[in-house]
Amino acid sequence: MATSFAGVPIFDYEALASVLFFIGLAGAVARRNPLVMLMSIELMFNAANLAFIVFARAWLNNAGQIFAFLVITVAAAEAAIALAIVVIVFRSAPQVDVDDVRVLHG
Amino acid sequence: MLLALVLLPIVAGSVMLLLRGEDRRLYRGIGVVVALATLVLAFAARSEDWSAPWLRAPFVANFHLGIGALAFWLIVLLALCTACAVLAVDSARPRALVGQLLLLEGTMLGLFISRDLLLFALFYDLMLVPVFFVLLERGEHPRDAWRYIIYNFAGGLLLLFATAAFGVLHGTTDVIGSAGNAISGTWAPWIFWGFAIAFLVKTPAFPLHTWMPNTYASLPPPVAAVVGAVQSKAGLYGFFVIAMTLMPQEIARYSTALIVLGTISLLYGAVAALVQSDAKRVVAYSSLSHLGLIVIAIATQQPLALAGAALYIVAHGLFTAALFIGLGYVEEREETRSLARLRGIGASNPRLAGALTIAGLAMLGLPGLAGFVGELVIITGIVQSGNIAVAIVAVISVVLASAYVLRLFQGIVNGPVAHDLPVRRDLTWREGIAIAPLLLALLYLGVNPHAVLASGSVAIPRAPQSSSAGVTMP
Amino acid sequence: MANPEHVMGVVGSYPLLLALWLLPLAGAVLCWAFGPQLKRAAGWLATGVAFAAFALTIASWASGTQSLNGALGADQPLVRWMPGFHLGLLLDPLSLLWACIITGVGALIHLYSIGYMEGDSAFARFFAYMNFFLFAMLTLVLSDNFVGLLIGWGLVGLASYFLIGFWFYKPSAVAAARKAFVINVAGDVGIMFAIFLIVQKTGSIGFGNAFAAADTYGPTLLLAICISLFIGAAAKSAQVPLHTWLPDAMEGPTPVSALIHAATMVTAGVYLIARCAPLWSHDGNAQLLVGTIGGVTALTGAILGMVQWDIKRILAYSTMSQIGYMIMGVGVGAYEAGVAHFFTHAFFKAQLFLGSGLIIHALSNEQDVRRMGGLRKRLPFAFIAMLVGVLAICGIPGLSGSFSKDAVIQGALNHGHPWLYAVGILTAGMTAYYMFRMLFVTFFGRYRGEIDPSELGIRHPEFAGTAAHADADGHDSHHAPAWLMNLPVAVLIVPSIFAGWLLYGGANSPWHRFFDPQFGVASLANVPISELTTTLVTLAFVAAGILVAYLRYGTAAARESAVERLRRESVGMWPILANAFYIDVALDALFVKTSELLGRIVSRVLDPHVVDGTVREAAIVTQGSGALVRSLQTGFVRAYAVFLAVGIACFAAFYAFHGVH
Repeated sequence: MATSFAGVPIFDYEALASVLFFIGLAGAVARRNPLVMLMSIELMFNAANLAFIVFARAWLNNAGQIFAFLVITVAAAEAAIALAIVVIVFRSAPQVDVDDVRVLHG
Repeated sequence: MLLALVLLPIVAGSVMLLLRGEDRRLYRGIGVVVALATLVLAFAARSEDWSAPWLRAPFVANFHLGIGALAFWLIVLLALCTACAVLAVDSARPRALVGQLLLLEGTMLGLFISRDLLLFALFYDLMLVPVFFVLLERGEHPRDAWRYIIYNFAGGLLLLFATAAFGVLHGTTDVIGSAGNAISGTWAPWIFWGFAIAFLVKTPAFPLHTWMPNTYASLPPPVAAVVGAVQSKAGLYGFFVIAMTLMPQEIARYSTALIVLGTISLLYGAVAALVQSDAKRVVAYSSLSHLGLIVIAIATQQPLALAGAALYIVAHGLFTAALFIGLGYVEEREETRSLARLRGIGASNPRLAGALTIAGLAMLGLPGLAGFVGELVIITGIVQSGNIAVAIVAVISVVLASAYVLRLFQGIVNGPVAHDLPVRRDLTWREGIAIAPLLLALLYLGVNPHAVLASGSVAIPRAPQSSSAGVTMP
Repeated sequence: MANPEHVMGVVGSYPLLLALWLLPLAGAVLCWAFGPQLKRAAGWLATGVAFAAFALTIASWASGTQSLNGALGADQPLVRWMPGFHLGLLLDPLSLLWACIITGVGALIHLYSIGYMEGDSAFARFFAYMNFFLFAMLTLVLSDNFVGLLIGWGLVGLASYFLIGFWFYKPSAVAAARKAFVINVAGDVGIMFAIFLIVQKTGSIGFGNAFAAADTYGPTLLLAICISLFIGAAAKSAQVPLHTWLPDAMEGPTPVSALIHAATMVTAGVYLIARCAPLWSHDGNAQLLVGTIGGVTALTGAILGMVQWDIKRILAYSTMSQIGYMIMGVGVGAYEAGVAHFFTHAFFKAQLFLGSGLIIHALSNEQDVRRMGGLRKRLPFAFIAMLVGVLAICGIPGLSGSFSKDAVIQGALNHGHPWLYAVGILTAGMTAYYMFRMLFVTFFGRYRGEIDPSELGIRHPEFAGTAAHADADGHDSHHAPAWLMNLPVAVLIVPSIFAGWLLYGGANSPWHRFFDPQFGVASLANVPISELTTTLVTLAFVAAGILVAYLRYGTAAARESAVERLRRESVGMWPILANAFYIDVALDALFVKTSELLGRIVSRVLDPHVVDGTVREAAIVTQGSGALVRSLQTGFVRAYAVFLAVGIACFAAFYAFHGVH
């Protein structure tokens, strides 16, 4: 099992992935602009993708790469739907705050 | 042909729900034709057997259809009641009502001709759906709809659990109507009570009956007629073809419990019917009482009682349907169901009064009508099984029945014409034809009940205990 | 079948019997379906049917009395329900006698009704019910099995219900009809129970099997069967304490009272016991019980008959009392005597009722004897009819009643019941008193119809059967020709006087020769009192009764002060008698009130709060937990994100500490 690629140790790759993930998480939880939240979610996806690819390389197992592609596809679909929703919500109100959109509360 | 029998009303009903327009004659006509067509199909397909594979794991289940002896009479009853109910529909929006009635008929047909437990459970739940929507759209209160569906789905869930357990234990659920599938062992009591509680909810029997008076009072009369007459028999039919044949040991072991429940229902329903002020509730509680008698008959496992039960199942269906339809006519004319306000129908609507009278007399067990034969044979069987005390309670309930039936129809029929209520014309030809077949069938079965009586004993593969009295069934 | 089939009659095909049985049904259906078209012709149609049925009965005489290898009469199989449940018709001497009375007296009463019901708005419906009653009653007496008998039993109850409540806009009539029906259903249920027990033992509902096995039942079962059957008989035949419906049943039109509540239906209990003679003969306890109740009823009816003011109620209580005699007769085992009393009673009681109908009709529905008086001159024919009837019922020698009543009284002694013998004689005296009381008050003195009711002590005229509802029941002033009503009464006078002579001649009388094949010849121990002595003692009591009635109501002085005397008597009547020994009240409190109370408890307390309460508890628990979970669904997307993050963190922590296996 390789411990570093292109001179960079696995640990660093992983550290980068976790930093990206937590930035994304913080953005998704803390920001109230739906577009920013979407971007934060993309960030988390990419953090996961990075981790998938690194481990795939480390264990020489292509499943990780395949999963990365899957995630990219899903992310694209998700972005399309989410943006459509955001557009619809924007249409009814010029300023959108996700905390205002809570019609489905219990 | 069997498949067509189930699919015809379901397809016709679904198409009708999708159509537009509210032409009363058209939809009524289609509904009656479809219902009568199922009657013809049932006769044609009487000896058919049709099967297609469904599940192979975790147990074998098939789409297996066939018509048993008791099921045949229930199907005839169902088709007849549906035809009459459709003809009695007099709503401004008949399309959905007729459509739901046909869906109800189709799903119940499916239930009666299922030869597979899983299929039985499937139709058992499906048949609740049309009633639920009718209750929701046209009932008096949405609460009644929810109460109906939750109660009965809970029963359906138990039925499903019991079916699954049976399938896992026995390896196949394709067992209805074929001998040699009785189970026993540790799990048998649990499975038995799963089925039994589901059936007791559907019948209903004390103490699982509280959904029933509201449902019957709230449903539009034609639907109440089909639900009260036929849907309530699904549980009893289940006792015949499932509990009795698959778990004979359990039913013998718990017969006392069932007899107690049945006896309580019998008296409870009768005394409650005695004081109701809503005409439909009188019929509802009387149903509790009468079906309690059938539960007792099933629990005793006496050949005579079972033969009587089969007949009484049909007879009860006929007079309940006739009464609900007749009371529907009264309600349409007088715009009330309150016994405190209704009176004098006999003077203003003699034909309607005559119809109500015959139906009421059948309900109180007038000798010569079908209800009487059923009661007589059932209670004879109960005496043969040695439960003299239960038989005494049963005959007391017969006296109570005469009191509440007379209170019901004397309240409506007799007395001076009520001038504070609208006076409408007597039964039209259509309304008369919608109720007459039920009454004629009651008269006919009162004189010649042989065929239906025999179906009750055919349902048992072999008599569970030999009769000491020398009465043997063919 | 485990047992061989025993059939009582000679099995065969008897078209006359079938026709006799079904003809009235056809008449009823025709009158019911085509009533509006038939109008007055409905009455003639129904009457014609009744006379035709009578002719057919006479025509079937030979087959009814035939005897072949121990089988007596004719048996016509009908349908088969199940093994052991065969229905069929049986015509033997006993049912032949009943069929003769039902169709013969029935036909005369039909004829009378054409006049009596003239102008009623539901004329055709009345005759439909009357013909239906004939059919039902024929079903009852012609069945060769218990179920057929029970079917007839229920159907006559239904016909009676319809006819009592015929004027259904009168609340009193409706209530009376309901009471009669419910009590009769209680009786039906008794017979049902007997059927259960018999089927359990013999596996068959046929009379033949039940009676052939009579000595195999064992004492307990046999007594249970007899008691069950007698509950049915008591309800139908108005025996204490199930008699309370009969006086109320007088709400029906008078011809109905004559046909159903005097001549035929109420004697069905007598028929039942006579039919089941083989069972009773095997059980001394049942005989004692039934005989005693018959005696008590005879006495009770007579006591209550002495204090009634409504002419139809007087006759009703007298009917009850006379049926008590019959039941006493057949109960103790003197079947031929009991049946003979039914036979003669059918004539003179029908005549009395029809005679009272003449009066009621002439006085526009007045029924209270206090408001009559002096009608002898105004209605001479009614007076003669009533007089013959009264003399016959009192047992004046030579008239029909004396033969049969003496036979019953003597029969009680012959079968070893001296107490019942004494009761019979005492009741005969009381009968004479109240019948003559009615005669004197109604026909002698001055007419009191114009006097204010309160002067006569009538407290509630609307309840006392007065003419208050005269115009409410659809009668108009237009009257039928008098002969229509007089002719049947005149015809009835003949058998009222002479029918008893059939019993003349002791063991060789026509009556005994007719019935000996049916009941066998009883061999009895010698009794100390001869028939002649019995007759004389009875006669002495009867004379005393008549004398008392004469002294109280018939003397010139009593006639003069009639108004004052009647007022005093009405007001001063003992409450216990005015309320008929409170039996009605007791039955009401015991059964009606109790079951209604139970009903209220069930539907107001148990059902909504106990049974449904449990269900609602479950619903509340579900809703509560639902609310708890619901509060987590805030609708803030970011909150969901936090939940998600926390959830992931938990998983991560779990695997971090446990490691992945």
